[in-house]
Amino acid sequence: MSSSKGRRRRSSSLMYTEPPESLEHISDQSALPNLNSEWVNAKGAWAIHIILILALKIFYDIIPGVSQETSWTLTNISYMFGSYLMFHWVRGVPFEFNAGAYDNLNMWEQIDNGDQYTPAKKFLLTVPVVLFLVSTHYTHYGVAYFVINFLATMAVVIPKLPASHRLRIGLFSGPPPDDVQ
Amino acid sequence: MDLQDAQNTFARWLDNAAKRFQKMPGSAIILRYIKSSYQNDPVRSAIELFLFLFAVRYLLAPKYSTQKQKHVALTEDEIDELVEDWTPEPLVAPETPFEALENEKRPVIVGPTGPRSKLSNGRTVMNLASYNFYNFVGNETLKEKAIATLRTYGVGPCGPPGFYGTQDVHMKTEADVASHLGADACIVYAQAFSTISSVIPAFSKRGDIIVADKAVNYAVRKGIQISRSTIRWYEHNDMQDLERVLERVTKEQARKPLTRRFIITEGLFENVGDMPNLPKLIELKLKYKFRLILDETWSYGILGRTGRGLTEHQNVDATAVDMIIGSLAGPLCAGGGFCAGSEEVVEHQRISAASYTFSAALPAMLATTASETINMLQEDSGMELISTLRENIKSMRAQLDPRSDWVRCTSSPENPIMLLVLKKEVIENKKLSVQDQESLLQDAVDEALANGVLITRLKSMPAPLGAGPRDQPWQPQPALKVCVTAGLSKRETEKAGVVIRHAITKVMTRRK
Repeated sequence: MSSSKGRRRRSSSLMYTEPPESLEHISDQSALPNLNSEWVNAKGAWAIHIILILALKIFYDIIPGVSQETSWTLTNISYMFGSYLMFHWVRGVPFEFNAGAYDNLNMWEQIDNGDQYTPAKKFLLTVPVVLFLVSTHYTHYGVAYFVINFLATMAVVIPKLPASHRLRIGLFSGPPPDDVQ
Repeated sequence: MDLQDAQNTFARWLDNAAKRFQKMPGSAIILRYIKSSYQNDPVRSAIELFLFLFAVRYLLAPKYSTQKQKHVALTEDEIDELVEDWTPEPLVAPETPFEALENEKRPVIVGPTGPRSKLSNGRTVMNLASYNFYNFVGNETLKEKAIATLRTYGVGPCGPPGFYGTQDVHMKTEADVASHLGADACIVYAQAFSTISSVIPAFSKRGDIIVADKAVNYAVRKGIQISRSTIRWYEHNDMQDLERVLERVTKEQARKPLTRRFIITEGLFENVGDMPNLPKLIELKLKYKFRLILDETWSYGILGRTGRGLTEHQNVDATAVDMIIGSLAGPLCAGGGFCAGSEEVVEHQRISAASYTFSAALPAMLATTASETINMLQEDSGMELISTLRENIKSMRAQLDPRSDWVRCTSSPENPIMLLVLKKEVIENKKLSVQDQESLLQDAVDEALANGVLITRLKSMPAPLGAGPRDQPWQPQPALKVCVTAGLSKRETEKAGVVIRHAITKVMTRRK
């Protein structure tokens, strides 16, 4: 009823920044801790990335007929794809904790309440970079493999930059929703 | 000489560094990696180096917050000064002169309430200010049964329904209401007021759409507010406007992800007293794929041949309405509220409706009383009671609506709560502000009480604190509230009607 001024965006533009939340949004966000993003700081949450990457590598290795180069590339792509989906594609919280107050933010933006350069974010950015360097090394630097791996890495590194915070790019989406009451 | 010295020192330092590096564990791997990385491809190496340097820079960057910092750094002195200057606002606003006058004259009932109540000043007056429409308050059988239940079950169930609070009598009341209405299932809440404000947020969340009548009561407004949904209002009981709003919402939402959509209206409006056109509402909700939440707080037990409410009155199947919310307090003389709907609708609320999950269940004796009064309404004697009430409403109305030069009744002819507002031409002729109307009507209330008839004014939702002039909600017109009861005879009701009419005339003619 009174939150009509918090969210208003320019319509019909390719790129827009998610505006700051209204007071009602902020109070709903802080009603409960955001369990959806808090686990990235928990014990074991960092190890699971390494474990998953190793598991993926083993999985692709045991498929017959897959060369070392392909196996590394597939591992890289799978990890980047999963990471992109999880941290940058899906918005909101899958559970009913905050009355939908995070519905406009993806998980990366929810982590540490939007702070930049926090330890968890540093770790989560380092993992894809290192994985890329390792996988290009083991693919023996074939140009095709290199380009594929590099693009996959960029897809998860760019959205993690502080400059992309709350930035939305929509090619085919219509004018963004308007919450005018 | 100097140059050579420097060169030597540098060479020695480099040598040392190389030796140290070779001694470091893992240095061989790094060397091998760098050697094999290069592979006569400087561009690619440059990219990798850049990426590596970027990662290092990212790791070394200091943390910062993207939240807007709102606090200003203050010195100790400044803080002390601010604390000194601060005087807290009172929790309750000071009494206005109007309120003071009202409080001073407020009648106090001594002893049991009923169609004739004794006041603290010793006089006995006709009570047309309580929701005791069928005079179940004075029913001895109900009282005895309630006492019997009290002896068996105790007073409160001492726990929420999901946590040892549910007793067999609650389940019976739910079944009774469901079978009375003809709905699939029903859930009983412990408070009538918080039923609707709990049902709405159980289903509608942020991003969902609610289309509601402008005149809905305070509890509905609170429910809508808690739900955080997007809300669109339509003009009171204006089906064309509703269709326009629905059409607009459907068009706006055409290419967006699917959301839940609800229409919310009342069976008998608390603030106006009239009823909506239910068949048209059902038609529109089916056409535009909305769900209908109908607040029957004031119409359940009142409308229809056996008191089933608006659905029976307008010959609509109760299952056609998605959620029917009603009250067991008031006319049914018990307490609590209910929501009737499909099996799924009801089961969903058992775990996600806040006031069902978090507040103690209905006391058992209220549940049995509700069951009892619902059964009584369906018997022949109950139907007689309903027709007696209708007769009384008719006689009261005959004394007021066409006969009075000053007021008209906005309520439906079947509504025992008669809301009498000042006629438009009267307001225009006398140039009455809302405040003037309120005080005039209060004078009429006092005048009627002096002549032995207790009535009241419509006391509706207050405007929200701190709301600007732009988001002031719809406000009802000031009105007198006359609650007709079957506990008085036709003659008595007519007499009361005459008293009220004369009181209004006296007050209005006194004012120039």
